[in-house]
Amino acid sequence: MTAMHASALATMGLDLLYVLSILALTAIGLGIVFGLLGVMNMAHGEFVMLGAYCVVFIQQRGLPTLMALPLAIVVCATVGWAVECYLIRTLYSRPFDTLLATWGLSIVMRELIKAAFGAGYQNVTLAAAQPLQLGTLAYPLYRLELMACVFLGLLALGIWFGRSQVGARIRAMTGNPVLARAVGVNTTRLASLSFVTGVTLAGLCGVMLAPLVRVEPYMGLDYLLNAFFVLIVGGFGSVAGLLAGTGIIGATQSLTANLLDQTAGYAAVLIVSILFLWIRPNGLIARR
Amino acid sequence: MQRRTFLGRTLLGVTGMASSSVLGLAGALTARNAHAADTLKVGAMIPASGPAGLFGPSSKNCCLLAQDDINARGGILGQKIEMLFGDAGAGPEAATQTALKLWKGAGVRAFVGMHDSAVRGALTTMLRAQVPYFYTASYEGGECSPGVYVTGETPAQQLAPVIPWLSEQRKLKRWYLIGNDYSWPRETNAIARTHIASSGGSVVGEEYVPFSVDNFDASLAKIRASGADAVLITLVGGASVSFNRAFAGLGLAAGITRLGTLIEENTLAGIGVQNAENLYSSAGYFAALQTAPAKAFAARYQARFKGPDAQLNSLAESCYEGFLMFEELARRAGKITVPAFNVASEGAHYDGPRGRVEMHQRHVVEDILVARASPSGFEIAKTFPAVGAGQSCKV
Repeated sequence: MTAMHASALATMGLDLLYVLSILALTAIGLGIVFGLLGVMNMAHGEFVMLGAYCVVFIQQRGLPTLMALPLAIVVCATVGWAVECYLIRTLYSRPFDTLLATWGLSIVMRELIKAAFGAGYQNVTLAAAQPLQLGTLAYPLYRLELMACVFLGLLALGIWFGRSQVGARIRAMTGNPVLARAVGVNTTRLASLSFVTGVTLAGLCGVMLAPLVRVEPYMGLDYLLNAFFVLIVGGFGSVAGLLAGTGIIGATQSLTANLLDQTAGYAAVLIVSILFLWIRPNGLIARR
Repeated sequence: MQRRTFLGRTLLGVTGMASSSVLGLAGALTARNAHAADTLKVGAMIPASGPAGLFGPSSKNCCLLAQDDINARGGILGQKIEMLFGDAGAGPEAATQTALKLWKGAGVRAFVGMHDSAVRGALTTMLRAQVPYFYTASYEGGECSPGVYVTGETPAQQLAPVIPWLSEQRKLKRWYLIGNDYSWPRETNAIARTHIASSGGSVVGEEYVPFSVDNFDASLAKIRASGADAVLITLVGGASVSFNRAFAGLGLAAGITRLGTLIEENTLAGIGVQNAENLYSSAGYFAALQTAPAKAFAARYQARFKGPDAQLNSLAESCYEGFLMFEELARRAGKITVPAFNVASEGAHYDGPRGRVEMHQRHVVEDILVARASPSGFEIAKTFPAVGAGQSCKV
């Protein structure tokens, strides 16, 4: 009996860590684009979808699944670069227009994927996504690998952003773009780089999630909403804020859903987000 | 009461206006296209957009196949039929407008619809039994509005023979019921409870999740804790895909039998056969059905329609059945009116891809299939012959 309780608790703990990992993974790309550039990227979820369809593409051709990673980087970076260059760049000082432009972009991306792959569900297979028996506990090894990747990735990003030259320039650009340009920072290139990084991270997120989740043209919406809640609660533009938002949204959802039910879990996330918008509109950790 | 009178008057006004303005238009059209005058126009309301939009292409294919087959036999009452498609996927209001245009504007004489119950409710209200309307999707039961002929499966059909048989086969005692939070899952589960009880089992959990949920870990933990040995799934589309993928990933598939009443071929493709161990589905048709008429139908479909969205599935095939029932009622009635169809409907029957389908009380008696997911997709595990819909609509 106690062994059963222990394994149920362990599963609950792993589920919570998994929710947190996915939230952090999906929010980080949106956080970079919104926090650093002030662009509310409504097509963020569609870049996640694009990454997932890279895995579908690779598996349909019978190639090794790992090749989806470089493919997603190339595809998302290219699309991201073109979008920043021709769509976003002229709109930086008009946040509402970027929202409309990226919303339109999201529709175009969904329709292109539908035209190429069809509107139906796609199945991504991966041996590691099947359950691994650990004593009385069954858990997919792939989920554990994904959590480890997210943890290491966030750590690396935090250190890089805090210590590197590029990180310092980005912080200078977002702090005061005019002054940054005056001291010789190429803000145009830097903004482009930030956007490309944000959407490429979204694409990588899609690659990593594809074996676990449902893959279809409309899948992006789930990830956009959740990532948005994380940013509302945590605040924009810092790794600490991202972690705080992830923790609060993930724990609220997971614990309420486990203790009560899924409806209550979803309602709790909405209530927490509304409370933050109301009382702390800049989030828990506001950088500016 | 007041509101109803108001609505009634408004509707009458609108239809009156529409018919008078359209009559002139229709006259002009027939004069221009002399050949169009001798076709019989039929409205096919199928989802082209929205969450069910992925069934659009395959449903359209099945409608086209029905049109060509019926016309090859000489049409309906001596007239070739002409299919006019309307989008039923963009919600009840939009579907009502589309159907009204097809009816009053284009002169459609009957409707065949494969869509959700909200759209069906709106269409029956708008049509008010003035043209025959064939509803082909699997649904929760209880549709007795005049002029509506239901060829889709009801929960009574999909569960009454299936739960006792599966319980016996798999030694199932403890059922967990999970579905999306709306009428179809709730009414299906209410019926499931009686069949579970009468086959000696008990319900150890019942849960309804909002459509927004894409992480089912909490539900899966509850299923594990409940000690269930069977799960009845009335989650829809994407929710069913997400749930079933995580179900297998967390190691529940080997010990717990899953039964779904809306897991068709597309949903199984998304779940993935690697995640579908001990997964069963019940319906009136599966593309894997191996009877001679079903094999002939599937072969002709696959030879003609290709592409990623063409996958033949039970929902799309239901459109074809709707047209066969329409053809049969028109043949028996000799004219296309609701009163004549009502008289003709009792006992009307035909042999189609599903086998013999017979109409009683404006629902159908048909064979019900239980399919089991295998590494190559669905395989028919059991056929229950001539199962009634369990409805009592006046004719």
